[in-house]
Amino acid sequence: MTSVEMKFFVVALVSCSLATAGYLLSLVVKKVRLAKISTWILAAGFIGLTLNLFWGGIHSEGWSSFGSRYFLSIYAWVIACIYLGLQFRTKTRTLGAFIAPCILMFLIAAAGQETDKNLVPPQWQGWLTSLHLALAIAGEGLFVLASAAGAMFLIQNRLLKHKKPGPLGRLLPSLGDLDRINHLGLLWGFPLLTVGIIGGVIYAVFVWGGQWLADPKVLWSLAIWMVNGFLLHQRLAIGWKGSRMAALSFAGLIVFLCSALLIRFCLATVHNFI
Amino acid sequence: MIVLVGLNHKTAPLAVREKLFAGCREQENFLADLLGIDGVREILYLFTCNRVELLASIDETPETMKMLRSFLARFGGLTAEEEASCLYVYHDDAAIKHLFRVTSSLDSMVMGEAQILGQVKEAYRQALAQNATGIALNRLMHRAFRTAKRVRTETAIAANPVSVSFAAVELAKKIFGTLDGKKTLVIGAGEMAELTCTHLVGNGAEDVTVANRSQAQAEMLAEKYRGKAVSLTSLDAELCEADIVISSTGAPSYVVTGDMVRRCLRKRKNRLLFLIDIAVPRDIDPAVDGIENVYLYNIDHLQDIVDENMKNRRREGLKAEQIVVEEVVQYVSWLKELEAVPTIVSLRSKAETIVRTELEKASGWMDQMENGNREKVEALVNGIVNKILHAPVTVMKEESADFDSQSIVAAARQLFRLDD
Repeated sequence: MTSVEMKFFVVALVSCSLATAGYLLSLVVKKVRLAKISTWILAAGFIGLTLNLFWGGIHSEGWSSFGSRYFLSIYAWVIACIYLGLQFRTKTRTLGAFIAPCILMFLIAAAGQETDKNLVPPQWQGWLTSLHLALAIAGEGLFVLASAAGAMFLIQNRLLKHKKPGPLGRLLPSLGDLDRINHLGLLWGFPLLTVGIIGGVIYAVFVWGGQWLADPKVLWSLAIWMVNGFLLHQRLAIGWKGSRMAALSFAGLIVFLCSALLIRFCLATVHNFI
Repeated sequence: MIVLVGLNHKTAPLAVREKLFAGCREQENFLADLLGIDGVREILYLFTCNRVELLASIDETPETMKMLRSFLARFGGLTAEEEASCLYVYHDDAAIKHLFRVTSSLDSMVMGEAQILGQVKEAYRQALAQNATGIALNRLMHRAFRTAKRVRTETAIAANPVSVSFAAVELAKKIFGTLDGKKTLVIGAGEMAELTCTHLVGNGAEDVTVANRSQAQAEMLAEKYRGKAVSLTSLDAELCEADIVISSTGAPSYVVTGDMVRRCLRKRKNRLLFLIDIAVPRDIDPAVDGIENVYLYNIDHLQDIVDENMKNRRREGLKAEQIVVEEVVQYVSWLKELEAVPTIVSLRSKAETIVRTELEKASGWMDQMENGNREKVEALVNGIVNKILHAPVTVMKEESADFDSQSIVAAARQLFRLDD
């Protein structure tokens, strides 16, 4: 990583840390202004991360320099991009209290990774792999957003059902907005992940033969895809909305994170990304 | 001297307020009459349903204060007893503080209400139009508006609704985000339901349906919101369509039951439903609240929220009082400085007269000076005079801002023989 690239990464990391602290503090002191300021700080971090990735992209030596740091940074970038984009349409500033820690987690993980560690073996490199990676990351990023909105929905729902909206209830976004974000997350995340997985499958069939089917990460991704596909189906066809969708999406995120950690540390996988 | 005479909802019963309000309103040239009182320099009056107040800058005589008081009592037709028990008179710091509290809505019946600021602004606008205010009241009023703005932005005094109908609107916003396009079903044509519906429609809700036992009444209310009137028998179908339901019938049993809501869940595709039950006895079965994505609030729930918000307002009121005190101190300091201003002006004008006279005396030999030297000498003389005056002027300003200005002003007038 060049020194300029490193500076941009530090800007992103520091901004995201400050934004996370600001968002969490806004929930504690119950001031939405703090959450608004944190959104601007997060936007600054997003610009830093964009420049970091852009700089890395124009100075890259192709696949050989595409390491885990970039993979995790792109993950953080996608989530931040979607969240900030949503801020133009909905007044859901405090949702950042759930989203910013996720972004920060990916950035911290990225900071600990070597940049020159070759992520994708030379024989697997190609446009289909790029498509597979980009779409899978974007799809999963959207699922994270949908789940975060779901978690916040559950809190707001509880406050309203117990007839005690209070200062926290006033601070959190409305149920309608949170349900809409959950809907959008699933609606866009599912097709992106679907195309991403299909891209990966086509590639794997030709390059690896049958061995990829037994890969734990493939099975895990398939499970996530099926769970979210089921949720989207129930939403669109059956009309599931509100608290049930929120609870299931949030449960999906917990399973997603737990299985990601399990696979990373306990099982061998050809998707050795994180 | 700033003086404030008046009465409000805390000191006078409604009958007295009405009498005074009507009596003063009927007077033509009210401000001109007030300005005609001996010793009144500037004046404005504030009439609202809860208060009648006169604010004036007057010469420091107890007679003027008494005359203002009796003026108000006379026009209001108050008895001597009412005058003694209801009217209050504040002067200087107390009057300024009272005005700032009134403008910031700390003295209102509902603390934090927004109307009073507009009413005070209107009173000031009227006084301005009739040239009834001058430097002291102009500055005072701007300071009062500034205080009100600070109170609104630096405290949460007006943040949360303190009426049942507004609390319902806030809840609806917390559930739906925006009320634009939300369908409202009003069951019963009670006053409270109508008020709540008006607030909801004012915030974007549309497509109002009124269901009532009396079709005529339903039609009358529906017409007001350009909605439709239906009979209570079609409630099942209407429930499937509505987003917000307000119920306030006089029915002895539940009008909306759990089964009715459950039946239409599938048809509603689980859309969020907000039910407001403001009837006593209740119209909506409490079991409805247990249904997913359905939120039921009855009159007690709404009143609890209002009470909690009132408590918060009172807490914020303490912060606001602190702001008022700060602003009063700043204004009083400026006002005291103002007392020294005529003396400073006299001192400067005396010095200028001396300089001019002496330069004229010296014009004979100064005319022989070469080009530009005369101007240089004049600038030098002016510079010396300004330097000499700088210290006494500064001390007078500072002393008068911090302490009583009378002694220092008197000393300056004597030292420089300003009264000769």
